[in-house]
Amino acid sequence: MIEIRDLTFRYEKKSAPVLDELSLSLETGKIGVLLGRNGSGKSTLLKVLLGLLKAEKGEVLADSENFFALSPREKAKRIAYVPQELNFGALSVYETVLLGRISRFGLFPGPEDDAAVRNALAMTGLAGFEQRDAGRLSGGEKQKVAIARALAQEANLLLFDEPTGNLDIANERAFLDTVKRLVSEKNITVLAVLHDLNRALSFGDRFFFMKEGRIAFSGGEELFTPELIYEIFDTRVRTETVDGQKIILEV
Amino acid sequence: MIMRPTLSKKKLILLILLAVLLPAGMILALFSGPSGLSLPDAFRALFGVGSKTAVRIVQNTRVPRLLSAVIAGAGLSVSGLIMQTCLGNDMASPSTLGVSNAAVFGANLSIIAFAGGFLSTGHNVQNYMSGVNPFATSVIALIFAVLSVLVILGLGRLKAFHPGVIVLSGVALGAMWTAATTVLQFYATDVGLSAAVIWSFGDLGRATYRTDLILLAAVTVSAVIFLLLARKYNALLSGETTAVSLGVRVVRLRFVSLFLASLVTAVSVSFLGMIGFVGIICPHVAKKLFGQDHRISIPVSMLLGSLLLLFADTFSRTLGQGAALPVGAITSLLGAPFFLFLLFSGKGARR
Repeated sequence: MIEIRDLTFRYEKKSAPVLDELSLSLETGKIGVLLGRNGSGKSTLLKVLLGLLKAEKGEVLADSENFFALSPREKAKRIAYVPQELNFGALSVYETVLLGRISRFGLFPGPEDDAAVRNALAMTGLAGFEQRDAGRLSGGEKQKVAIARALAQEANLLLFDEPTGNLDIANERAFLDTVKRLVSEKNITVLAVLHDLNRALSFGDRFFFMKEGRIAFSGGEELFTPELIYEIFDTRVRTETVDGQKIILEV
Repeated sequence: MIMRPTLSKKKLILLILLAVLLPAGMILALFSGPSGLSLPDAFRALFGVGSKTAVRIVQNTRVPRLLSAVIAGAGLSVSGLIMQTCLGNDMASPSTLGVSNAAVFGANLSIIAFAGGFLSTGHNVQNYMSGVNPFATSVIALIFAVLSVLVILGLGRLKAFHPGVIVLSGVALGAMWTAATTVLQFYATDVGLSAAVIWSFGDLGRATYRTDLILLAAVTVSAVIFLLLARKYNALLSGETTAVSLGVRVVRLRFVSLFLASLVTAVSVSFLGMIGFVGIICPHVAKKLFGQDHRISIPVSMLLGSLLLLFADTFSRTLGQGAALPVGAITSLLGAPFFLFLLFSGKGARR
């Protein structure tokens, strides 16, 4: 269970807050999706959660443990992050995924780190890729490396920032399925920023619509109504149900 | 044992070749020079046998000189690598923070103002260095260089420790030191001015066992720390946000790394003058040939830096016929074509 309470952040003193007493809660083992227009504060929220930006006030509790009181190292054991931009440098896939263990080993990795890396590679279908140059993989493979690295962290909370932006449909589908499978197998919690409403619908369990630094609406699939989407995105849509799956169509 | 850095057979052979080249280069450096010492004479002189002049040339000139090439080359190169990684900037060099400019100002101050080159009435023009020990010039240069680094890092700490901000403040502060140097030089006598300008050319002939030892200490301590931090640098290659999410204290890592890298540069510039290019090109060559895993690129950069400076210095001593050309110019002359070749040949087609 992750709980965010009254989180406020602004880039400069006296400027308008980017996060304005934002609160949300997400149960363990669920996939939460953050939706909203550009500038609504989604990425800022992820950065505050990662400790990259310092909140002015508010708290984040994970299983009633205060995130902001943790050292960067301890935090990395609890939250992992899959970025949108995938640059690894010219490192081997093994070495890249092993970076997920940095918070756990001191200077030199041990057998348990090796095991965690191999496990993460196997789970993401990257076994056999160990010695490949991560910088030269395809977009889909890089995405898998980033997920494997996050899995190697063995964190309970995974943050995704627009993770399917660089993927073709097949890879996107495969990626979302992999994450869903991992969530149910390992009982981890995911909070993802996604832009595509239909992807969000098929991927998420809980939805948080953000507007002006706050969660304007939160709930399940029932939130996706033309009225609410108009209110958040200022865009007219209609919804239809095809094969029992709700889909959003632009008008 | 997959956790060890693994190299393909081809790269391993290349690495061994480069490693063998270093002692070979050192031997070559020992036995070449304008004094016309024969090979056996030079060899005997190394162990204190032979004429007094030969012993002095080999033991007091050539050995400290070639050691300084090996140590300073390694130090400048690894500094450049760490700067490039920590600032996320391929153009970063050991002197990106303006250390060299500060050191040059310090040396100019010492030579022009304190040694009598400053608005001189002429009484000490003949021996412009008489008032000051050359070691003192280096110490004053070093003081200004370190001061400059502390100012930049302090400013960075004050606000955002963002790479872009650090690079720009380095440029600004460097320009300030250069401007101050120009003002000083404007008031200098001809002799003081030429002494100051010549000081700023890189010259390994200034090396003594004492300066070598100081340089060795700075380079060794920094290199060991850099190697211990290798995986954190690897994490930084994925970007700051990712590195933070992996648990790396990026701000502290940058602070410590930039300080050490600048310190090595400061010591090197203060004792040997400005030696450009080694610190930009050697790390790039290392990365192009061996990848970006810092556990490999740190030692390989050091090796390449030593090699380039050693061969450039030997070349400059041979070419100059008695008067060694500024080694900084030779490093560029030798290194740039090779780098361009790498950049445009198929081998370097990364990214």
